[in-house]
Amino acid sequence: MHLYRTILVIFIFITPLKANTIYNLIKIPNLEIYNIDTKNKLRYVYATKPFKLGLNIKKKISCYDSGKKVLDQKYKIINKNLNRYSSNFLKKINLKYIVLCENLSIGEIKTAGVPDNIMRTLILDIKFNEEYFERAIHHEVFHIINDSYKEFFNENDWKNFNKKDFEYIKCSTCDNKWNLAIYPETAGFFTEYSKSTASEDMAEVFSHLMFYENENNSDDPILNKKIKFIKENISKIDNKFKF
Amino acid sequence: MIEKIKISISERIILIFLILLGIFTLMFFIVIKNKCLFVKNYNPKEIQFDNPQNIAVLDTNCGNVIIELYPNVSPNSVERFKTLIRSGAYDDVAFHRVIENKLIQAGDLEFGKRENLNYGKVGTGKSGLGVLQSENNENFKYKKGSVGLARTFQMNTEDSQFFIILEDEPLFEGEYTPLGKVLYGIEVLEKVKFIHKLEIVPRPDFINSFKMLDQ
Repeated sequence: MHLYRTILVIFIFITPLKANTIYNLIKIPNLEIYNIDTKNKLRYVYATKPFKLGLNIKKKISCYDSGKKVLDQKYKIINKNLNRYSSNFLKKINLKYIVLCENLSIGEIKTAGVPDNIMRTLILDIKFNEEYFERAIHHEVFHIINDSYKEFFNENDWKNFNKKDFEYIKCSTCDNKWNLAIYPETAGFFTEYSKSTASEDMAEVFSHLMFYENENNSDDPILNKKIKFIKENISKIDNKFKF
Repeated sequence: MIEKIKISISERIILIFLILLGIFTLMFFIVIKNKCLFVKNYNPKEIQFDNPQNIAVLDTNCGNVIIELYPNVSPNSVERFKTLIRSGAYDDVAFHRVIENKLIQAGDLEFGKRENLNYGKVGTGKSGLGVLQSENNENFKYKKGSVGLARTFQMNTEDSQFFIILEDEPLFEGEYTPLGKVLYGIEVLEKVKFIHKLEIVPRPDFINSFKMLDQ
C-alpha cells in the first residue's frame, strides 16, 4: 500500500503542469485562441503544434497545425457558416469550441471533423476537400446535434424511410462509400456517403438543407420524408431554428 | 626579522568590496526567506464596505485577502460558499493547486486538510453537501482577482473547491460559476507557494482561517 502511494505521489509530482487554460477546459493540448469574441459565443482555437488524442490506435485522433494564411482564409468560411447557428441553439446542442487544424484523422482515416458534445468541441480539418468543405461543416454540426438529442433522431424510424431491401453498412468507414458528390438522381440518398450509416445519412440531409438554402424541396418521396423528419426534430430543439 | 607588509590601496578596496558583498548576500537571503516582507496586510475592520454582509476574509500566511461575494450573480453557489465559510470548513485547508501568476485553488475539505493532507487524492474531495448546479454567467467578466467555484470537466459538479485568478481569464467566462472578487490583498495570494511546472503543490501553504466579516 505504501509503495502504491509512493508511486502515485511521485507520478503526481513529476507530471508536468499543463497550465494551459484551453487544455484544462477541453483536454486538447497545443491550442491557442484564434477568436473568442464572436456573436454566437463560439470560441475558435487553433493548433500551434500537432496533437494526438486517445490511446486506442483505432480511435486515435491526430491533427496538425496550419499556416496563418490558410487559417485566416478558412476561418472566414467556417465563421460565415457557423454564424448561422444562434448562441441559444449552440448552447442547447452543447457546442462551444471549434478547433482548427489540418490533416485530421481518426485511427489514420482522414475525416472532416471530430464532434464531441460532452467536451462541447468540434475539431475541424481546415484543409478538408475544398469542394465540400462548407457542407461538411454543417454535416459535423449535425453529429453534435444527434449526439446531444439521440431521442429525437431514432435510427430505426429513419431506416423505415428507405426501401425495404436497402441496408446501411455497419460503420461509416467500413467501406469505400465516401463520395460526397450529390447524385443527379437521388433515389432516397443525396450522396454515396449517405448510404454508409443512418447517422451519416441524417447528417448529409441536414447539411444539404443548410448548404442549399433555397433548394429544400425534393421530388424524391423518400428524401422528402427524411427532410421532414430532420426539420421537425430540429424544431423540437429550437423552434426558431432556420435552415 | 619579519617585515610587515603594508596593504595596498587596491587590496583595501577588494577587502571592503568583499565585506560589503557578504553583508549584501546575508541581507538578500533574509529578505528572500521572508516572502511576506513587503506585502501589505489589510485590516478589514479599518475599511468601510458597501455590502458588509457579503464580505469574506481569507487569512493566509502573508495576510488577509478580502473578498466581496456576489449573491445576485450566483445565489445558490454563494449561499453554499457562505455556509461553508461560516462553519469554519475552510480553516487549515491547503492551496493545493497553484499556477504561478495564473490561478490558486483551494477548498478540498476531504483530502486537503492540514492534518490529513492526501497528495494522491487532493483535488478530488467533496464537502458532503452534494454537488451544485452550475450558475454560469456569460456576462460576468473573469478579471484578475475573480473568485469562482471549481468543477470537474463536466458542468453541475461544483461543490466546495474554489479558485482565485491572478490574471484576466476571458476563457473562464460562461464556463465557471462566479462567486465574487478580491477587493484587497491580491498581492497576498501572489505569495502563496507554488512549484514551477507542478500543478499539485508539495508541502503547500494553508488557509489559516476563512470567515465572514460579520462573524
